[in-house]
Amino acid sequence: MTKYTSKSIMHKEHSKKKNCIITFLILAAVSSICFLFQRVVQSDTHVPLLFVLAVLFISRFTDGYVYGIVASVIAVFEVNYMFTYPYFEFDFTLSGYPITFVAMLTVAFCVSALTTQIKNQEKIRLEVEKEKMRGNLLRAVSHDLRTPLTSIVGSASVIIDNAAVLPEQKKMELIRDIKEEAQWLIRIVENLLSVTRINGENARMNLEDELVEEIVSSAVIKFKKRFSDVKVTVEIPQEVFMVPMDGVLIEQVLINLMENSVVHGGKVRQIKVRIRQKHDYVEFLVEDDGHGIDSTVLPVMFDGNLQASEGKELDGKKNMGIGLSVCKTIVKAHKGNMTAENIPEGGARVMFSLPMGMEGAYGDKR
Amino acid sequence: MEIKDRILVVEDDKSIRNFLQTILEANHYEVLMANTGTEAYGLITSMCPDLVILDLGLPDMDGMKILYNVREWSNMPIIVVSARMYEKDKVEALDAGADDYITKPFGTSELLARVRTAIRHARSAGVNPGGGQIGSFSTGGLVIDYDKYRVYVDGQDAKLTQNEFRIIRLLAQYAGKVLTYDYIIKEIWGPNMNNDNRILRVNMANIRRKIEKNPGEPRYIFTEIGVGYRIVEPD
Repeated sequence: MTKYTSKSIMHKEHSKKKNCIITFLILAAVSSICFLFQRVVQSDTHVPLLFVLAVLFISRFTDGYVYGIVASVIAVFEVNYMFTYPYFEFDFTLSGYPITFVAMLTVAFCVSALTTQIKNQEKIRLEVEKEKMRGNLLRAVSHDLRTPLTSIVGSASVIIDNAAVLPEQKKMELIRDIKEEAQWLIRIVENLLSVTRINGENARMNLEDELVEEIVSSAVIKFKKRFSDVKVTVEIPQEVFMVPMDGVLIEQVLINLMENSVVHGGKVRQIKVRIRQKHDYVEFLVEDDGHGIDSTVLPVMFDGNLQASEGKELDGKKNMGIGLSVCKTIVKAHKGNMTAENIPEGGARVMFSLPMGMEGAYGDKR
Repeated sequence: MEIKDRILVVEDDKSIRNFLQTILEANHYEVLMANTGTEAYGLITSMCPDLVILDLGLPDMDGMKILYNVREWSNMPIIVVSARMYEKDKVEALDAGADDYITKPFGTSELLARVRTAIRHARSAGVNPGGGQIGSFSTGGLVIDYDKYRVYVDGQDAKLTQNEFRIIRLLAQYAGKVLTYDYIIKEIWGPNMNNDNRILRVNMANIRRKIEKNPGEPRYIFTEIGVGYRIVEPD
């Protein structure tokens, strides 16, 4: 916590310095331009206009309104001192000058205030958009949570209320359902935690060079624990691939994709995870032998789900809406790409690619 | 009379206590329960349990405090349980001397396996306090010959380099337990090696290519992402 505050103060100090430098540079630039003009042309009508422009730029490129206003005051005095007769002397007694003075100050003030306001509105708009995204996610989540929770509470109540009359076999069946639904909940929660890792306030993605084979094998082992009857094979090239990534998140993507194959692919008996290099990217392919992806779903399978659940209720049991959009979010946060297609011989193929970073493949060092 | 191993469970959630007690007693352990850190500390000092299952999120203190405290005077096996998913916490707990780490939600079979491993390790460390390895380690088709400095896979010499052999020997010394990247690097390359674990990764990749049939489906050495490596237990 203390670390965080001291960091934010440091950040403030830093941005203060930056804002001052910007203000100074813009004023200096305009002053020198006016100075040059003064040598060539007699008139000085352009001077106040250029300074108003300077104020506008300062308001645009600094934070808050203070710098714009300070700049406008400086500008007024500078114009008086340097660019009106008598040069390099303050003189506020020139005929009509007080009017010019006030007019210029007002214009500069207004410009500064307006620019700041526009900037604030932009900020608010972004804030609202974020809020809306959170709302959508929350809606999708509470829908996905409600179904398994209902089943858990229901099954448990049935067992408690009818303990004496229920046959042992029926009881076991209900208990097994409870376990299965609870495991489904765990998966949803794991996915949500992954999202907070990308979008969280204090949490950040933990990008480190990871060995691709380690991430893949870890994901496959975890997947096999849950779905022991599906055969998974891994094909990895002999070269050693080190890719900058958040290992836990990419593992999550792979697990989601394999689970998705099983849940939506029909009778999937075999999943193949393949790794290959394509230019500066490492491609991860998850292929199954199920019935493939519906052609109506294919174009929207990564993005439609959250929006869709806003209006009409998606009632497909166990929709992996959250899972897939989490995958997409994670891959995007790694500056990667994600696509899906059907394999001509049958089954679905979902693939994503991650940039290899500076060094890329190591070759086969022995 | 049967002598049972005594396990102290430090956990504040009622239903988790309930199921842990049931499953541990069903597997012939004697179970002690503690609700709070203070209570746990009292039981650790007075009852000397054979193993502690320690939840890090306790109502009265951070579980890490108990871990640090106990490690000042005892090597009793401690398995840390936590809901925190960040690897940083796992690494911190392991580096602070926890024998193992398990994340909520966990399955009972997983927990029991870790309990058995931790107790066995504590026992063998007592028998062989120097930790010197003689003879050999074998699991599946993998044989580590400590005396000859060689590793065989299905009878064939895997031709490991010296550092590769030292890494695999270190893992085998603590078979079944996760060793953190930092720990391995310090043991192999010494304390002055910077914290860049790339060199370890490259070595691991090479070891894997020499001892595993398919580096993507390892049978002997497993990765705990963001934490470290673990070798399977010997047969």
